[in-house]
Amino acid sequence: MREKTGMKIAVIVLCIFMVFALSGCLGGREINDLEIVIGIGVDKDEKTGNVLVTAQIVRKQAAGSSPGSDGGGDEKAFWNVSSVGGSIFEAVRQMTHKTGNRLFVSHNQVVIFGNDVAAEGLQSYIDFFLRAREMRPTVLILVAEGRASDVMDAKPETEKFPAMNIAKLVKTYGFTSHLYKVNMKDFASCLMSATTASFAPLISVTEDEGSKDVYVPGMAVFKNGKMVGKLNHDEVRGVLWVLGKVKSGVITVPSPDGKGKAVLEILETKSKAMPEIKDGKIIIHVMVEEDLSLSEQTTAENLATVSAFGEIQDASEEVVRQEIMAAFKKTSELKADIFGFGEMLHKKYSKEWKSMKDNWDDIYPTIELDIVVASRVVTSNLLRNPPSPKEGDK
Amino acid sequence: MFRYIFKKIRSSSLKKENERVLRETKSGKENSVPLLPDLDRNLEAVKSILRDSSDVTFHEFNFGHDRRYRAALVFINSMTDKEEIHKNVLQPLMFGSLMLSGDADMDFTRIENIRKNLISITENQKVVLLNDLVDNLLRGAAILLINGSKEALAIKSRKRETRSIDEPATEAVVRGPREGFIEDVNVNIALIRRKIKVPDLCVEKLVIGEKSKTDVYIVYIKSVADPELIEEVRTRLERIRIDAILESGYIEQFIEDDPWSVFPTVSNSEKPDKVVAKILEGRAAILVDGTPFALVVPMVFIESFQSVEDYYSRPFLASITRIIRFLSYIISTLGPAIYVALTVFHQELIPTQLLISIAEGRERVPFPAILEASLMIFAFDILREAGVRLPKPVGQTVGIVGAIVLGEASVQAGLISPIMVIVVSSTAIASFAVPAQTDSGTILRYIYLALAGIAGGFGVIIGLLVTLLHLVSLRSFGTPYLWPIAPLNFSGLKDVFIRMPLWMQAKRPKAIAVNGRDLRNQGPVQKPSPYKGDNSDSG
Repeated sequence: MREKTGMKIAVIVLCIFMVFALSGCLGGREINDLEIVIGIGVDKDEKTGNVLVTAQIVRKQAAGSSPGSDGGGDEKAFWNVSSVGGSIFEAVRQMTHKTGNRLFVSHNQVVIFGNDVAAEGLQSYIDFFLRAREMRPTVLILVAEGRASDVMDAKPETEKFPAMNIAKLVKTYGFTSHLYKVNMKDFASCLMSATTASFAPLISVTEDEGSKDVYVPGMAVFKNGKMVGKLNHDEVRGVLWVLGKVKSGVITVPSPDGKGKAVLEILETKSKAMPEIKDGKIIIHVMVEEDLSLSEQTTAENLATVSAFGEIQDASEEVVRQEIMAAFKKTSELKADIFGFGEMLHKKYSKEWKSMKDNWDDIYPTIELDIVVASRVVTSNLLRNPPSPKEGDK
Repeated sequence: MFRYIFKKIRSSSLKKENERVLRETKSGKENSVPLLPDLDRNLEAVKSILRDSSDVTFHEFNFGHDRRYRAALVFINSMTDKEEIHKNVLQPLMFGSLMLSGDADMDFTRIENIRKNLISITENQKVVLLNDLVDNLLRGAAILLINGSKEALAIKSRKRETRSIDEPATEAVVRGPREGFIEDVNVNIALIRRKIKVPDLCVEKLVIGEKSKTDVYIVYIKSVADPELIEEVRTRLERIRIDAILESGYIEQFIEDDPWSVFPTVSNSEKPDKVVAKILEGRAAILVDGTPFALVVPMVFIESFQSVEDYYSRPFLASITRIIRFLSYIISTLGPAIYVALTVFHQELIPTQLLISIAEGRERVPFPAILEASLMIFAFDILREAGVRLPKPVGQTVGIVGAIVLGEASVQAGLISPIMVIVVSSTAIASFAVPAQTDSGTILRYIYLALAGIAGGFGVIIGLLVTLLHLVSLRSFGTPYLWPIAPLNFSGLKDVFIRMPLWMQAKRPKAIAVNGRDLRNQGPVQKPSPYKGDNSDSG
């Protein structure tokens, strides 16, 4: 009896010591053996026509928080590795010839497609990103106005990694609502719809006195996976008004006395779109409600009065209406149903939809929009009167 | 099936063994020789037994009106209070008896007469067997033998060096009584009696240890404690056959429910107020002579997270500190394991920025994470052990050297990553927050770490499940170890994660003080409220 327990204990102790020898046997991998990928760019190789994949890898030696402690202080914290292959997967695996370690893509922040790839159609390229086990379907998707690898090279001033910086630019879209963050999953689900067009933020590089900066000039519109056009900032917000995705932003209207401007901040929005078929005509009723605050004014007149607020509200409603109309006009030209009106009709008028489905591209520009905007200026923030000399004191 | 049969066979063989041992020990007692009415022969017998003990005094003297009685006083020098013997035994016998005028009709060969008329020490006992005589002698009693008497008198005038009542070093409090138990069990019982002044506080005595003959007391309140529990404690204590009980830890290991469990099922304390509080809940305390640590049974898991001060301070901070203790226990057992599981197996679960700084810190480390963690924990355990045993000034040096060598130099040298130092040091600090579970915490930490190294989060979860199964199946003297969480008891939950105000805890724990016993520990509805004033006052 006693011998048996002794044996058992010996076996357990042996097992514990074997851990050190066997560690990593069940799929474990030490962080030292990983190359952390934080951004991927996909371009077309000009010579061969194959895929050129650029991966942004964290340089662990230089990523330290204290510059100058060891290693040069001005070293880049990232390393862009490029590789050409017949497919994305091939190219990614080819990269190990350069890195030596396995690429670890779970922390990939952004996937940037080059202009040429986007024009060719993304359908064949996004398959890998959705299928690979380590990839996240929530990775942000962007389209470069030029080449993706150039965008990833532009070193930002405050961030260490260009990919992180780009992800941050997109994630903070709510400040202006001039762009929208689109992830791989959303993009794919729009792609799978027969009529709805998808969009993705554009990214481009500007050279300003030698330093390269990236910025988002608008959104790219895709139809059946192919990039067909671009929307500017106002047009993007027009789309977001209808989709109900406007978080915040700035609306500028002329002040009632015509001497200056009133600048408004969007506090809260609510919107609704309802399709209706009337006498064979398709009407979409769009209702937008918005709460605004007076954030800045450039005139001496006191705008914090009921009548002034009323006029400002009317003016801001007109701005919103124009933005929506501009967006619709642009997408009508592209015949890209970015609002998803087709899906709305499909749900409400499934019988009529059958006949419309096949020539939706032609029907879409004929849709009539009925836009109702109700805006309310709820506060003038900390000031009631503008900081200007009182007239009576003179 | 086979296990059942094996169990049966084993238990029957154990029973036989037990009976044999009992028979042998009993027969030893029956062999004892009675005392003879001849003083010289009795003394001869005692001398032959204590032949090699040089510190035994045999004092022969005569007493009585005409010095016609011969007597002898036998005692061990070092253990007996000589002053007291002189004053209260020898003086009355030798001089007091002279003053008795009609002493002719009082027969001093009868011990009863001496005891009732001459001896002024209250604690004395008649002995008739030689064995009992020697027994009492060795316990420090002075033995009075009289020629012509078949009996002897054991006079207990023990002298014992004890330290004074001190604040216990292991359980210091900010608010609460500062007294602690000491080595003398009689003082300890007095400390308990001073707090519970009811007649049904029972103090049962047992003597355990073939050689040490240690006094062991079971202390409980009859109307509150479960009689079955007391019976169980008694049988388990009586079963112990051992040479000596040098500390209550000896007893703990013999009466535990599951000796192979890393979780303690018997609690111990140095603080009288803590032990009394548990006795009042219906538990039984086991006090052992020679140690300040009293045992209390049954023990439940959550007791480890409760502190006496929780009840002395107001409930708000007490509840927070209790939650902190639970978290500390989780950190101290799981901290390194989760770190290893995350960094080796589940890097995708770490936020990107954190992963980058971990990766940067680990860049120069040549070891796998599991080895790195084990080395650090092992080093910490060495430091702790070294620090505990050393005298205070040297112990501090060990701490400083350890902090510099482990914390600074190992990181500078690139042997250990800075984040690992943080993980292990926070684990180490957390492990001190729950002193009652140091045992289980230390061992589980290594086990979980090994599992995390083998199979990552999966391994840790398996380990946790096995631990949970074990905890749920564990019992301490009939009480489920995880009570009141499993089995769930709502009134018991008032004192688990959150310490409800005392006036809301009107009943004793149901699992310990069983139904049918005295369950209420205070009057009904005592919620404090401001003085409302009566009619005469309000005018």
